[in-house]
Amino acid sequence: MQQFMDGIFLGSIYSLFAVGYTLVIGVLDRLNMAHASVFSAGALVGIEFVTRFGLSIWLAVPIVMVVGAILGLVIERIAFRPLRGRHDAHFAGLISSIALGAVFIALLQARYGPDTSRFPPEAFPSTRFEFLGATVSLLQLLILAISMGLVVLLTWLVAKSKLGRGMRTIAENPHAAAVLGINVDRVTAVTFAISSAIGAVAGVLFTLNVNTANLGIGHAVELKGLAVIIVGGLGSLPGALVGGILLGLAEVYAVNYIGTSWRDMVAFGLLFLILVVRPQGLFGTRKTREV
Amino acid sequence: MNDPILSVEGLQVNYGRVDAVRNVTFDVSAGSLVTLVGANGAGKTSILGAVSGLLRPRRGVIRFKGEDVTSWPAHRMVQAGLVQVPEGREILATLTVAENLTLGGWHRGRTLAGNVARMYDRFPVLAERRKLQAGALSGGEQQMLAIARALIAEPEVLLLDEPSMGLAPRIVDDVFAVIEEIRRTGTTVVLVEQNARRALAAADFGYVLETGEITHSGIAADLLADEKVIEAYLGLE
Amino acid sequence: MFQYTALITLIALAAILAYSFYAVLLAGQLSLAQIGIASLAVFTSALVVPVKPLFGFIPPLVVGIVFGVLVGMITAFILGLPLMRLRGIFLAIATLAFAEMVRIFLINQSWTNGAQGLSFPKLVGPGIAWTALIVVAFGFWRLAGSRLGRAFDAIREDELAATSMGINVARHRMISFVIAGAVSGLYGVLLGYFTRFADPNEFSFTAAVDGLVTAVVGGVALFIGPIFGGVFLTVLPELQRSFGIDASWIRPLISGILLLVVILFVPGGLAGLIPRRKSAGKLVTDPAAMPTLTTLPTRGTPLVNLRGLGKSYGGVHAVRAVDLELVAGEILGLIGPNGAGKTTLVNMVTGFTRPSVGTGEVLGAALTSRTKAHALAGAGVARTFQQIKLFGRLSALENVLVGGYRISKDTLLRRLIFLPSARRDERQSIAMASAQLARVGLADKAATPAGDLSYGDQRRLEIARALAAHPTLLVLDEPAAGMNRVEAGRLSELIRSLAADGIGILVIEHNVRMMLETCDRIMVLNFGEVIATGAPADIARDPAVLEAYLGATSSEAGDRVAEHMAQELTATADQANAPRQHPEGS
Repeated sequence: MQQFMDGIFLGSIYSLFAVGYTLVIGVLDRLNMAHASVFSAGALVGIEFVTRFGLSIWLAVPIVMVVGAILGLVIERIAFRPLRGRHDAHFAGLISSIALGAVFIALLQARYGPDTSRFPPEAFPSTRFEFLGATVSLLQLLILAISMGLVVLLTWLVAKSKLGRGMRTIAENPHAAAVLGINVDRVTAVTFAISSAIGAVAGVLFTLNVNTANLGIGHAVELKGLAVIIVGGLGSLPGALVGGILLGLAEVYAVNYIGTSWRDMVAFGLLFLILVVRPQGLFGTRKTREV
Repeated sequence: MNDPILSVEGLQVNYGRVDAVRNVTFDVSAGSLVTLVGANGAGKTSILGAVSGLLRPRRGVIRFKGEDVTSWPAHRMVQAGLVQVPEGREILATLTVAENLTLGGWHRGRTLAGNVARMYDRFPVLAERRKLQAGALSGGEQQMLAIARALIAEPEVLLLDEPSMGLAPRIVDDVFAVIEEIRRTGTTVVLVEQNARRALAAADFGYVLETGEITHSGIAADLLADEKVIEAYLGLE
Repeated sequence: MFQYTALITLIALAAILAYSFYAVLLAGQLSLAQIGIASLAVFTSALVVPVKPLFGFIPPLVVGIVFGVLVGMITAFILGLPLMRLRGIFLAIATLAFAEMVRIFLINQSWTNGAQGLSFPKLVGPGIAWTALIVVAFGFWRLAGSRLGRAFDAIREDELAATSMGINVARHRMISFVIAGAVSGLYGVLLGYFTRFADPNEFSFTAAVDGLVTAVVGGVALFIGPIFGGVFLTVLPELQRSFGIDASWIRPLISGILLLVVILFVPGGLAGLIPRRKSAGKLVTDPAAMPTLTTLPTRGTPLVNLRGLGKSYGGVHAVRAVDLELVAGEILGLIGPNGAGKTTLVNMVTGFTRPSVGTGEVLGAALTSRTKAHALAGAGVARTFQQIKLFGRLSALENVLVGGYRISKDTLLRRLIFLPSARRDERQSIAMASAQLARVGLADKAATPAGDLSYGDQRRLEIARALAAHPTLLVLDEPAAGMNRVEAGRLSELIRSLAADGIGILVIEHNVRMMLETCDRIMVLNFGEVIATGAPADIARDPAVLEAYLGATSSEAGDRVAEHMAQELTATADQANAPRQHPEGS
């Protein structure tokens, strides 16, 4: 039972990271490789607000979301919008977002240095519960609640809101969206902002959970995030949630049965298998796209 | 004669270095039905694209209600009252009929619900299928949906790109009946068609396009009676 | 001094890694498996490389390199079997997953010494690294003008168009992947015996991204690209260091910004800055250089035979039960309004669309669900597309050269050792292509990139490209769209002269006059059904035809036009048809 709960919690963080990833893919059909650096930025900026300015974690999280959103707007404007209409936009978008991510990381390094930092121990109450025979912390429950909440919120947003209708229209047919008078640029920018805001919060929660942050944490999660969105199906929000939790569970059980050193094999083995057997993922319905 | 609501002067549109439209000039007066006819590749769709802000023309000036709108993006044109029903309809197949209609009113706040209701009255078949995915509609129904979706934005000028394409003759009759009705409400209509006879019969004024240039223009009824026009149209000259 | 030797060697190694990415990018794909392959190669080579020369004379490094290259090729091939059907992001992620799986696997093996890493003797210095780089670059240089290289170009620019020229896209993707595997294996072995140490964790995602970035920054346009990328990205940090920029964050910042600038403002990469070589448009007009072509089937030989062929998409019938026959030397016109199903029918005939019902035979091959478009093209079916599918960034001549894929022989291996026969074959290909360009009237535009040609010229170029395959059956989809009257008239003459050569021609066109004047027989489609078939003069009189085109509302002017047209055609039919049907004379 303990393992099951641990798997769920780990998975919910993967989900949170992947949700932002998959939102951009779903709407824009672009893989944003700078997402990982936003994750790192969220963690480090969050730590600064809590340690240096003594803000409570509850206040720091909204600020981190705003910072993330701004980074998202920058990514869209610099790494993606100039490529529109170029025949190699897919390749170029991968590279330009990798480059911009490197720039972000360099700037973070300038401000925070290369060393590991962490939230002060009192930043979050370390309350623990017994639950169905397993020990869970308040933090873990919170992460789970936030992940679930965000996925539900986003699913609602995409399905029901005006903005979401705009996103789905652009996803299905950007030309028709423009014909209908939808400001494609603005909806795209907002999508990036939301995606990055969530990515930045994921960084904070991840850091709280593992109690350590450095420049590279984004990269560590990036590959897992890719695995999650492929397993769940590119562009599928529920797929990102289920895929994340599936991966979390698989990793925790793998550690137990085949050892820590083989843990990452699970993610990539699963990823490889899904791509060979069912490239559209568990929840994906969209056709394979061309790069 | 009143000032034209839409005027295009010296329009040139390029794809890469290829000219699709060369030096095209035409006027559309308010409340009229003007048609651009021509074969595939004549540049009709490119002209509509430039007018509705989807394509940036290389040269030329487009005026709408007296204002220079040449560099306006598409969403601003829709807001200003110029709406296009695109070639091939471009309904959003995975969205429901109701969602498609609502999208047409992206810039309409308060009047949206009323407009949607009016469209259901006007097109009962859409009301019946409002919960269905738009991709499940027949070709004719999809065309009606595309037109209804455009009307919800309350256009002053409606651009219709090949509304009869791929439709059976009986359905084409329905589409033209709807166009006639729209124009009776005072909406200005610019109709691009391959079906030259039907379009000229319905229009006040017509322009014939060939390889990106206007080769004939005049009162639609005169063009319809002119053998030269038909010959040019079929490439028979 | 030492640091410069190291730097020079690292440039070569970075460039070799970039070539392994370049090989796949060349065929329009993105793979990140190379780094995993390199890792496998270097660690397995440690198992077989002897301390002393093998058999007393083969140096250990040579054994390592040969072994590494073989491991690379075999791994790439095995990996390619399940993965080569994936595209784009999916292929990139699947190959990345493979690389990570290799890394985790090797870390957990005792023979690799796990995360502690393995020591290697120092066998590689700048001399060997640069020799290896030059050999690889030489290979890619010779690839560029070969038949295989042209096939890669074609696949990268437009897979469908490449298929229509008889290029087996799946097979070529695999070839590019195996080449990448070979170069990766080489890279892995060289790296290990240069740094004298290898740890599976060095072959990580970051390393793969570095290789990809080097290749992309260098550019795919020219074989020299990866070397440019290698120099740029290896020297850049050193330059910064020599300028006294020490803060550890400034270097990645400047590198990141420069990378952004290159990708955003220099789309072809650094190699794209080099002006294109002139030979991309040099014609060969010497008739003696023309290849000997196989003779076409005799006039009247059946080429296409369709029986009740139809296609439906989710219950919508695009084409219903069409019967069609076409013989060698005949021009069959297909007309009908937009959406009538003409293109769907043509796509079935050329193997691009699978029929839902009915049977058909094209050049002796049955149209089944297993019919491959490239196989039909290889049998002699050439086509143009309604939406022009040229290789926009290649010159007009290069486009036509790709068209000659079917009738040319592969030249890469012979090019590598500069065999005169390869040069002769290439001259033949260029002569054939030049002749086709001249035939459609584009000889003076041979060097112009296809994307910069006018609409009418692009249509003509597509026809030239199709003709370069020496086709038995030529399918033209709206060849006159966007042409003016004079151009359409010339096109009509061209089509008739091709039929006179014995080619069977199926043509879709909206220009009715041109069709009536050009075709031997015309078939009219509407709503996926044949509404009329017959000689042009009869079709011109058929009221259903004008109705389908102009709409149902009758107009006297239109009727008069039709009658006038029919009379004229009947009157000229004898003069026009007589010489055409017996071109060889009697």
